Amino acid sequence: MSLMESYIHYLGSFGLILIGLYVVLVKSNLVKVIIGISLIDTGVNLFLISVGYIRMGTAPIFSRTAIAPEEMVDPVPQALVLTAIVIGVSVLGLALSVAIRLYGHYGTLDLRKIRDLKW
Amino acid sequence: MVSPIILIAVPLGLAFLTTLLGLLSEKLPKYVPAVAMAFNLVVSIRLLPRALQSPIVARTAGLSPPFSIHLVAGPLGMMLSVLISLVGLLIAIYAIGYMGKGPGSRYHALYLLLLAGATGVVLTGDLFNLFVFFEILCISSYALVGCRGDKPGIESAAKYLIQGAIGSSLALVGIGFLYGLFGTLSMADIASNIASVSPMAVFISMALLVTGFGVEGAIFPLNAWLPDAHSSAPSSISAILSGIAIKAGIYAVARIVFTVYGAEAILVFVAVVGLLTLLVGEMSAFSQSNIKRLLAYSSIGQVGLIVFALGLASVRGVEGALFLVVSHALAKALLFLSTGYMIYRAGSMEISSLHGMGRKMPVSSVCFTIAAFSLIGLPPFIGFPGKFMIISAALAKADTLFTVLIAIGLLGTVVEGAYFFRIVQGLYFKEAPEGAGTNPGEDVEAPLSALVPICVLAVAIVAVGVCPCVLTRYLGAAAADLLDKAAYIRHVLGV
Amino acid sequence: MRTVVSLTLIVIVAIGVIVSLSQVPVGAEAARQEGRLDQDGVNFGRYYNSRAVEETGATNVVASVVVSYRGLDTLGEVAVLFIAALGVVTLLGTKQERKAKREVEQASLIVFTGCRFLFPLILLFATYIFAHGHLTPGGGFQGGAVTASGFVLIYLGCRGRSVGPKQLSATESLSGLVFVMIGLVGLALGGSFLLNFLPRGTTYALFSAGVIPIIYVAIGLKVSSELGSIVGALAGEGE
Repeated sequence: MSLMESYIHYLGSFGLILIGLYVVLVKSNLVKVIIGISLIDTGVNLFLISVGYIRMGTAPIFSRTAIAPEEMVDPVPQALVLTAIVIGVSVLGLALSVAIRLYGHYGTLDLRKIRDLKW
Repeated sequence: MVSPIILIAVPLGLAFLTTLLGLLSEKLPKYVPAVAMAFNLVVSIRLLPRALQSPIVARTAGLSPPFSIHLVAGPLGMMLSVLISLVGLLIAIYAIGYMGKGPGSRYHALYLLLLAGATGVVLTGDLFNLFVFFEILCISSYALVGCRGDKPGIESAAKYLIQGAIGSSLALVGIGFLYGLFGTLSMADIASNIASVSPMAVFISMALLVTGFGVEGAIFPLNAWLPDAHSSAPSSISAILSGIAIKAGIYAVARIVFTVYGAEAILVFVAVVGLLTLLVGEMSAFSQSNIKRLLAYSSIGQVGLIVFALGLASVRGVEGALFLVVSHALAKALLFLSTGYMIYRAGSMEISSLHGMGRKMPVSSVCFTIAAFSLIGLPPFIGFPGKFMIISAALAKADTLFTVLIAIGLLGTVVEGAYFFRIVQGLYFKEAPEGAGTNPGEDVEAPLSALVPICVLAVAIVAVGVCPCVLTRYLGAAAADLLDKAAYIRHVLGV
Repeated sequence: MRTVVSLTLIVIVAIGVIVSLSQVPVGAEAARQEGRLDQDGVNFGRYYNSRAVEETGATNVVASVVVSYRGLDTLGEVAVLFIAALGVVTLLGTKQERKAKREVEQASLIVFTGCRFLFPLILLFATYIFAHGHLTPGGGFQGGAVTASGFVLIYLGCRGRSVGPKQLSATESLSGLVFVMIGLVGLALGGSFLLNFLPRGTTYALFSAGVIPIIYVAIGLKVSSELGSIVGALAGEGE
């Protein structure tokens, strides 16, 4: 019980990453691959946030009710995840526009058929 | 006292300004990247003497190093910054004439952001900041590869993007892992505490980080995107990608392996992987008939040689690797730039259609020949001292493994010589094919905006080749910057 | 074939991950249980939580980390979003590839009016989020994302109306320039980029924490215009 309780966040985030990796490696539809990339990003962000978590910790924001700084979770992973989410969204936007143009050129989104540039 | 942060802040600001100028005028945005890179070049050269004595540690937000982001502009970082701004300036001048009406101001803004990202990668001292600037570099290159919107460009951009995105996510997992172990993100801080955790943790995080940053650095199993991307992009983008972007990826991997981990044990593995990359690149290049794909595979080969030299982990080896970084950046950029207009005149990227260009475009062909000979490693050009240093470093290790490896590496050089000689022979001694290209009436030399950077690069290749002391003077300090972990930590944290 | 290989690879990686995680303590919670959290070399946010209010004046520690302590990362992130907006517009905007504009079917009256009514409220909420970013949870990125959701509402509900792409482009350039300018002014005045050179003010007040609210406003405008132009390009509006 102790192992699961301490590591449930990590297991969950790695589960998401592995599911995303499976989708990217196996699926042949470009949009599904992009969704897989998005899953990997979500899993990575979840992992980053879990690194800073302290049990029974509270948000690192000071308000009128006094909170001791030792009770707060780590603010740095939250800043890292802000950046990582934005980077993930940027890649997603570019990927979707590339998919739109690729469909316009080839008429299909099946990656097995988009193989003009060979050896 | 100028702070190195303006080397990053000013190009970023000017990139934001470029789109604004694009709304106001058609012609102005073309010149902004050249202006920005000229500024960077001047500032980098001015800061170089100071950085050679001791690394300049620049803080941000007025707060002290391990707790805020800091830039560490050491000799290696400054040297690479000079290289980036020089090559960036020349290619920006080339692009003034080469990029037509199509992408407009957005191309120039993206190009400037790519260079700002590359400069940030080589100057930073913080691990997550390295990741962010690396992402700036990668994402702008995804957009630039596909910017013309043609079929091969979009297909290459798709493949590049998918592989790059997975690589970046892996690198981010590695960074999260390191933060979870140490609670800090400054590279010097992690480096000083690295001995206190178990080897398995070190191994996992290093594997993740090297894989993540190695996708851009085109190390062997991770470089499947490179031939497509570098051959389908516009020539100026191929030049900057092959010349600078790969080097930034290799720098990130080297900085992590040498400074953060100080891992001597895996360096044999690095050397072997480098050699594999070299062989795969050169063998694949030999059988290509498309000139840009050939040059892209040749880039893979050269990067393999650089990684092999870094894997030697001796001072001489790292110096050779750095020399090769500079010589390959100059030579490969020159190759792509000179073939840019040749391809445009001939109308196709097949080598057979470039036959006879020696007569029609004499200046471009001469410069192409100079760059090709430099890449092979022939004496009066800049490639020769670099390869010589690497070979002598490998032999100096007095280890049979390395002697065997370098012998195989020389085989790669022979193959390289073979295909480049074939191309040069085709340029000068064969007749142009029947039927004109798509631009038949314009069998003239490339315009002035292209000739200036091409000739400057050629002159630089010859000049540094003739007296390599210009470069080797700085290499000792730069190699020490990479190899000497304790000195790095002392400069950043110590006092 | 590919499925089998990928599945075996993933199973191997999963086993590796579980094995390594059970042996290597990762994270702040693990450090706390081992008692390592208060040692000198280890940070895990202790320094930031205890010193942020007096050093930067913002009561939202995450805001002070994002803008002050790690401000250069935020500048890089804003640049990445800028690249994405430019890239999307470049890839999707070529006139000759675009088909002729389809006939736009107007939404029903209820949807149309509802969207028109909601849009200014969404903008107000977004402005509140990024103006109070240094005091309450929120900040530039969150506020910008909410504004972009308002734009999506307009594209979906009030079809045919759009936000002008040139104005969006001008906004994103100008706010980016403002961010870089503030940093350079800090460099000129105090010797380090993004120095917090305005007075701290009283904590918990709206105008406190030096340059942080100003930077957050610039980020908020930039992110909303960039996300708006990405969404607009994907929705089919162009120049």
